[in-house]
Amino acid sequence: MNKSLMIAKYEFLKTVKRKEFILMTLGFPLFFILIMLVPLLLAGTSSPEDLNLGYIDRSNSFEFPAEITVRGSMIFSNGIPGVTNNQELDGTNNEKYPIIKFTQYSDVAEAKQDLGSGTLSGYLVIPEDYIKTGIVESYVMGKGTNIPQEELSELLVNNLLRDKVDEETLQRVKDPITFKRFSIEATGEVSEKGLTDMLEDFALPYITGILLLISIFTSSGYLLQSVAEEKESRIIEILLSSVTPIEMLTGKIVGLGSVGLLQIAIWLSVGFAGLIYVFAISINPFLLILSLAYFILGFLLFASMMGAVGAISGSMRESQQLIPIFTFPAIAPILFMQVLITEPEGKLSMFFSMFPLTSPIAMLIRMGVSDVPVYQIAISLIILMVSVYFVIITSARLFRVGLLMYGKRPAIGEIVRYMKTG
Amino acid sequence: MIILELEHVSKSYNTKKIINNISFSVDQGEIFGLLGPNGAGKTTTLRMMLDIIKPESGNIKVFGKDIDTHSKDRIGYLPEERGLYKKSKVIELLVYLAQLKGMTKTRAMENTVDLLQSVEMLEHKDKKIEELSKGMQQKIQFIATIIHGPDLIVVDEPFSGLDPVNTQIIKNILLEQKKGGKTIILSTHMMEQAEAMCDRILMINNGMIVLNGKVGDIKNEHRNNSIFLEFEGNLSSLEGLDQIKNIIQHGTYVEIFLKDGHDVQSLIEDIVTRVRILRIERSTPSLNEIFIKIVKGVSS
Repeated sequence: MNKSLMIAKYEFLKTVKRKEFILMTLGFPLFFILIMLVPLLLAGTSSPEDLNLGYIDRSNSFEFPAEITVRGSMIFSNGIPGVTNNQELDGTNNEKYPIIKFTQYSDVAEAKQDLGSGTLSGYLVIPEDYIKTGIVESYVMGKGTNIPQEELSELLVNNLLRDKVDEETLQRVKDPITFKRFSIEATGEVSEKGLTDMLEDFALPYITGILLLISIFTSSGYLLQSVAEEKESRIIEILLSSVTPIEMLTGKIVGLGSVGLLQIAIWLSVGFAGLIYVFAISINPFLLILSLAYFILGFLLFASMMGAVGAISGSMRESQQLIPIFTFPAIAPILFMQVLITEPEGKLSMFFSMFPLTSPIAMLIRMGVSDVPVYQIAISLIILMVSVYFVIITSARLFRVGLLMYGKRPAIGEIVRYMKTG
Repeated sequence: MIILELEHVSKSYNTKKIINNISFSVDQGEIFGLLGPNGAGKTTTLRMMLDIIKPESGNIKVFGKDIDTHSKDRIGYLPEERGLYKKSKVIELLVYLAQLKGMTKTRAMENTVDLLQSVEMLEHKDKKIEELSKGMQQKIQFIATIIHGPDLIVVDEPFSGLDPVNTQIIKNILLEQKKGGKTIILSTHMMEQAEAMCDRILMINNGMIVLNGKVGDIKNEHRNNSIFLEFEGNLSSLEGLDQIKNIIQHGTYVEIFLKDGHDVQSLIEDIVTRVRILRIERSTPSLNEIFIKIVKGVSS
């Protein structure tokens, strides 16, 4: 077997078995799933409790029903215009929905006493100038009960507009807008845009871009670590008596690049599987192939630079300190996301999507928000490929001279000289 | 047969000449000592032999030709700066290093087991390097050097940090390898080791060759016209003898230098009459003494 391949295989297996890698690769999607699932689960299992609310209405403009039933953000009650009847709840299923009971008080002290004795879960005070300020005071014991604002809000709207507007208007006030989006294509064709389309157009390139960034950084970070570790542990000399520095750099880049590919493949398949399942979106194969191309080129670029940094710096710690030099340009597209999204054809966006250190991420984001001409994609890929070529050559030179230097880090002038001569 | 040949090799770092026009060759089956004080350029010379760094000028031939991947696979190298992957398992690491030297996995595995057995470490094969003691790590490092059955073994300070028992184990393995027709280049600043093991030595100082030849020849060449004497009696009673140029005291014994043209025999006859002799011998300088003399002579 070719020695570079042997190194690639060894590095791949060594990294894949690392705890950090497993944690990062599996933990990341799990983390996301958890974030999405936890609120659902919580909402499903622990339904809000029944509440017994008192209220003191100093504005004299409200009349609350004796009780309302809450389902999701909808409320149900009998005999109030504008509020759905309780009957509609019956028969949906046998689930028990929380009930909020209301009791009117004229005296705060009384309500306070009942709250103290536990008869009330809380009470509301509606001040005289409520209409002007919109302020309603709510009192509960300690930090305990949470009084739901949304449901009350519906109740208040109902009260305020009762007898002033008709039933339909009342419903509209409660739910004034449902967007239906259309876009007119260059052909003049009008198409309706749903959430799914927006996800496909925007979220996919965006998410892919960010995952790309994380993956490029973790795997080229592993490369930096692995070179620095070999240098620090001095095993480098044994390796160099068996293989050439170029074979070593190539092997590491291939091995750790595969680690990055594996990682992003796991992430994307988990992510897309989820998206396809939930939103029934379709993946644009062109975008997928482009993402792959940008990943490979972006990785090669960063990895070979990191390889050189690892070789030059004296220790692991020192090399870690040099990482931000690369991190900053790479995350610049994320920092300037606003500009990329609002002015995808602007000068800055153009620059970011052509400049090799930022183009992998920036181009994918641009493609999400606008139709980037194919020639621009081609130019950015070519610039990236040419840069990769020169960076690899330069890095290999630095790699060769840097590996055996211990102790002092070479001065900038020295580094430049090595770049030229090797 | 010549295994390794250097011709007019020079190397400098940042305008400082580390190696200055050295030429020598190593024959098959010998233990060749590369000696010199710290900073003399030993490690640089070794690294050039192994193609880890390139010479600035001059030629290096290994197994009769310029070094390439194939000839690298026939060399085993133990660097002075030791290091292994701390988190790797002993057996996995050794097999990997052997594979990097062009071995098949099966052969690498067999060799690893055999060698671990020979240094009584087979039971540790599944441990991680970092779980081993320092001495054990040294032995693993040494095994890594010869795991692929190299024809040329290059060891840089192989005994540093080893206790006497492990030193003996490594020494025996090296002698075993020599018996098997392998060539060994031993770089060290410990002269007693070199003297005991090497057939030929090359001593360098400040990047230049100061001694080159068979150990016995070099010692004969540097023999002083002197004797070592351990005695009971008064030192001053010897001082009147007119064969003696001067006397140097070395703790329990003295070294007596003769004037030119005088014979040891007649001196001994005279000494016998003045003191009681405990031990007497013609001085043959150790490599250590020759080394110190040369290094001091060059620098003064």
